[in-house]
Amino acid sequence: MAPAPAKAPAPINCKLLLIGNSSVGKSSLLLRFSDEQWLPEDESSATIGVDFRVHKMEVQGKKVKLSIWDTAGQERFRTITSSYYRGAQGIILVYDVSNRESFDALPRWYSELETYVSDKVVKILVGNKVDKEFSRQVPTAEAEAFAGRMNSLFVETSAKTSVGVKEAFTEVVERIMDIPELWDATPGVGAGAKSSAGQMPGGGNVTLGEASEEGGGGCSC
Amino acid sequence: MASDLPYAADAEVSLSYDELEVLRLQYQKELAQDYVTVQTKFNYAWGLVKAPIREHQVEGVRLLQELYRAEPTRRRECLYYLALGHYKMGNFEEAKKFNALLMEKEPSNMQAMSLAQLIDRGVAREGYIGMALVGGAAAIGTLLVAGLIRRATRK
Repeated sequence: MAPAPAKAPAPINCKLLLIGNSSVGKSSLLLRFSDEQWLPEDESSATIGVDFRVHKMEVQGKKVKLSIWDTAGQERFRTITSSYYRGAQGIILVYDVSNRESFDALPRWYSELETYVSDKVVKILVGNKVDKEFSRQVPTAEAEAFAGRMNSLFVETSAKTSVGVKEAFTEVVERIMDIPELWDATPGVGAGAKSSAGQMPGGGNVTLGEASEEGGGGCSC
Repeated sequence: MASDLPYAADAEVSLSYDELEVLRLQYQKELAQDYVTVQTKFNYAWGLVKAPIREHQVEGVRLLQELYRAEPTRRRECLYYLALGHYKMGNFEEAKKFNALLMEKEPSNMQAMSLAQLIDRGVAREGYIGMALVGGAAAIGTLLVAGLIRRATRK
């Protein structure tokens, strides 16, 4: 008697990328979001190159399969991580509210985005580590205004206490769902992160070269 | 909720031909100038290890081994990609060895844990194939022996 639908629609594939300086908590945000876990600083280790997780969720009644790419923030991985931008529908830019430098570095991350992704891609600025309120170096209002200028969503989070974490990911995905051209089976716009896993699409090769030279310069440290 | 299966993104995704070319040309350029920066060498080795072609993987592993010896500051990432390269080539023992070295230093490194699971799975798969081969060989052997015995008894 149950009104059985002929078949459940296939989930919408959605690729998100976490970027930002090292030690701002990108991996911790992902771990909190996907596994409800938290690793203290001395136990967590810097991401090597890139890490990857799949997470299924339902947004606005649609089944969504998220592929979340967690990139290393260290300068030495810049070339490497840049090759993961393509096909992304959402970018999560993370800084640490208790580390001014990580906020001041954001314009560089945004200019990298300009190089690698279309401006239709949904961006969210995430101020992490609000559990360290006592040593805050970046006022909320300032970051919010900056996010507005950069045409990005904004939220403050703590991967440690899980404040705002779910919201951060959900907001990006909801916004992506509002823009069907980002995911509606349009070839080339990166529909289907899973399929893009095999096919690192061409184009933008010159930029990888530029980035590699940049990386070459930065290695002397 | 448990999020997903063990996965090493860099094991699955390879660069396009052009992308690898960019890294190769940079490496060759510096090689010609007799000064290869660690970054350039590492980038190229990384691109090679990710490649689907075995010769590329072998060359990538060779470069990583050189880097590992020469650059103590790059050891953790070299270990990871050495393990990954050997895993891709099916050298599970080597892969295990390098990954174990990394896990010794970073017991809660989630990437290394995930790779360890992938390697174990590879070993198990190889084990099944091995058993199948041994089983098959045993069956063929039995037939041969039976044939020989039959022939011998006929004489």
